[in-house]
Amino acid sequence: MIRILPLAVLSLVLTANADIDRTKKPEPGPAPEAAFPDYVTKTLPNGLKVFVIEDDRKPTITMRLVIKAGDVNDADKHGTAGFVASLLNRGTTTRDALAFAKAVDSLGATLEAGSGADAISVSTSGLTKITDPLLELFADAVIHPVFAQEEFAKAQKRTYSSLTAQKKEPHSLVAKLMSVTLFGEHPYGKFTTPESVKAITRDDLVKFHATWFAPNNASLAIVGDVKAADILPKIEKALGGWARKDIPAVPKTAIAPVTGLTIHLLDLPGSVQSNVIVCRNGPSRAEATDLPEVNVMNSVLGGGFSGRLFQNLREKHGYTYGSSSAFGYNREAGYFQATAETRNDVTAAAINEILGEINRIKTEPVAAPELELQRQYNTGNYLLSLENAGRVASRVQDIDLYGLAPDFYKTYAKRMAAVTPEKVKELAEKYLSTKDTAIVVVGDAKQIRESLEKIGKVVLYDTDLKVVKP
Amino acid sequence: MSKLPFLSCALAFTSLAFADAPAGAPHSALKPLNFTEYDLPNGLHVILHENHASPVVSSYVLYHVGSKNERPDRTGFAHFFEHLMFEGSENIPRGTIDKLVSGAGGNLNASTGFDKTDYFLNLPSNQLKLALWIESERMMHNRIDETGVETQRKVVKEERSMRYDNQPYGSLFEKLVGFTLKDTPYAWTPIGSVQYIDQAKIEEFRDFWKTYYVPNNATLAIAGDIKIEETKNLIADYFSAIPKGAEPPRPKFEIKDPAGPQKLVVKEEKTPLNASLHVWHACSERDPDSYALDMLANILASGRSSRLYRRLVDKEQVALAAEAFPELFELTGVVGLFATGITGVPLEKLDALMTEEIEKVKAEGVSEEEFAKAMNQKESEIANGNGSMLARAKSLANAHVFEGGTDEVNRQLDHYLAVKREDLQHVAKKYFATDKVFILHYPAAEQGKAHGDK
Repeated sequence: MIRILPLAVLSLVLTANADIDRTKKPEPGPAPEAAFPDYVTKTLPNGLKVFVIEDDRKPTITMRLVIKAGDVNDADKHGTAGFVASLLNRGTTTRDALAFAKAVDSLGATLEAGSGADAISVSTSGLTKITDPLLELFADAVIHPVFAQEEFAKAQKRTYSSLTAQKKEPHSLVAKLMSVTLFGEHPYGKFTTPESVKAITRDDLVKFHATWFAPNNASLAIVGDVKAADILPKIEKALGGWARKDIPAVPKTAIAPVTGLTIHLLDLPGSVQSNVIVCRNGPSRAEATDLPEVNVMNSVLGGGFSGRLFQNLREKHGYTYGSSSAFGYNREAGYFQATAETRNDVTAAAINEILGEINRIKTEPVAAPELELQRQYNTGNYLLSLENAGRVASRVQDIDLYGLAPDFYKTYAKRMAAVTPEKVKELAEKYLSTKDTAIVVVGDAKQIRESLEKIGKVVLYDTDLKVVKP
Repeated sequence: MSKLPFLSCALAFTSLAFADAPAGAPHSALKPLNFTEYDLPNGLHVILHENHASPVVSSYVLYHVGSKNERPDRTGFAHFFEHLMFEGSENIPRGTIDKLVSGAGGNLNASTGFDKTDYFLNLPSNQLKLALWIESERMMHNRIDETGVETQRKVVKEERSMRYDNQPYGSLFEKLVGFTLKDTPYAWTPIGSVQYIDQAKIEEFRDFWKTYYVPNNATLAIAGDIKIEETKNLIADYFSAIPKGAEPPRPKFEIKDPAGPQKLVVKEEKTPLNASLHVWHACSERDPDSYALDMLANILASGRSSRLYRRLVDKEQVALAAEAFPELFELTGVVGLFATGITGVPLEKLDALMTEEIEKVKAEGVSEEEFAKAMNQKESEIANGNGSMLARAKSLANAHVFEGGTDEVNRQLDHYLAVKREDLQHVAKKYFATDKVFILHYPAAEQGKAHGDK
């Protein structure tokens, strides 16, 4: 059946179509500004810094407390911070582990903690209508955990099995091998073993908590459909009575950066792929004064789908599903890493391509259009990231944790947009090397060792990360 | 699930639904998503969501084709094709889609499932046209040439190795569907088998595109800092010229219940700890039972007060982790329990405790307290679902294609609120039949040898 279309619609379709030229990329409108969202800061009398980021898109509230103590505060008992974090939600002075779990679950909420190199974070999330009971549970877990011996023993037992499982997980093994290679005896280089787990006692957990968990050694970010004026008095009520403490200084362990080129090969027989990380030591977060510029340099090398590593190793050679590079920054030290997962017979070839790209960015100036693309990629994706209020919160807390300039994120996008080809080369020369670098590989030594020896000296490890004598 | 009457319209620009705050969600503080939806004359379904919280826009294109549309001798095809969609088009030179998006300050990706293949772009909102140009170009005349096919064959093999073949338990899902959904198009996973991709000829890829990548098999959702009328015009500009295709074929099949309990032992050198999986056939994702089944899974294994956690992980200390999952697809589904053992705990011990917990819930149902808890967990999960613009675009398009209507994004909680406590015992009895269980064992490598596990 034929119907005559209303003329207006028809002509609109025709004119509209006539306007576009499919053969050319459409021109964008005026670029929006990447404005860092507003937030409210308040320091309670006990020293707790509180940040509130209002976000009404979801009827939820998320609270994240960052305690400025992590693996670096373990002293001689590596893993203490990890157990402290994992037991916070497993029993307090007024609720045993089951009562605590029931209280959280029945609210439909989550309350979890985890430890990292420099900090422990405790996060909770739920609907705004349960803010009061959730805040009470949160404060209870942070201030009054009991670290019951029974719960600690259960956690140790689970950890032994997790460690057994990790010995078969290439990504766990390669991360541990990289840490120990770059950071050695520094706490960043330590990893959990059955012996280290066994050495920890309940008293160590209690002591860690008593020493480092203090309002003046922490920051709290609140994100959600709340008003600062409403939530701040509640925070003060729940956490205002938490007593301030004197925080001891932690002696720093020196790090000897890697020199020379060595391949650290962890033998995981039967692997059909090799996990490769080309890495070296880098600046700490505070030392990284050129971080925005380094982001752009790194992105030329290995950022996203348009970075050279992805384009070369994946799109040109088909060696890997993904390949990228990144700088990581902790409070006392940092690192650079370039990664790929490749089939055995091209492992050495892939490493050579990564080294070749590192060499290229150090020696050849980046072409203007390529640099422009990466500047846009970085500033645009920074703007996109501001949509995520949780990410905004963690950036605000990072400023506090690492002692950065308060306006760091105000100038961040502008600085990335101003990077020149000369700057890229200068930073590549400063931070990258094909000579003083470690190449960490987890794979089947029988299949790949010979080809790796053509690149450099190979040190072989077993899955306990012990060096295997040749 | 109630199916909304879906009107189709021959005229462009005619909105079919302006879903303002929908009635009927009195118990909830959830915020409904507003949207506008319509069909272009070529059948492309468009859903727009306007929100100016951030100057960003997300575009999401869902093609109603996944691994279940593949031939058994061409598994992995839909996913492989997803890779080819990044190659370029008549007007976009090969290998430049990534660069166009990165250079515009955005990011992109895609995924392939059993029932769908989806493509997304996140961009600063001044780049909306770029998203429309790229998506319309690859819908209109995607580029498929030998160079791209050869490279992506290698890349996809590495993807398979990385995600599945080189990981402990990486084969689990593939074994699970192969075992429980045998003789159905759900019997293989989207990654498929590499041999079939090697065998496929370039003509087959072109045919696949012609069959399934037609506008009438696609949904375009745009969410973010947009103006509705302007966006409608732009969408007409970019997409109207794409011809409508034939209605794509939809697979049909029957699923047979097992004759009795079935068991499969998967021996792999890379398995570090004993793991056991108990699986049953279940309903499809739009079945009314799906909500009760989902709540039951929460009571069994969501949170540290859940039954399996308390019994296997906490009290008996035999498991490192325990999970319960309904995995419901468009046309069928499975429901299962999964436990990873503590070192040295025999599989039989895990099995006995999992069975005991299942029998208990069948015999006694769930308590009021547990039921209320599961309801609160669902409300939180739903509330947390639609924060970012990409999440919103995704939810809207998926509701349209798989849940019976776009408005379903705003009705999810209502469906759970309609579930009664007795329903959970009812679905437990209905689906967890003792004589219809599929058991998969992953014996730990060393133990497997020592015990000579079958």
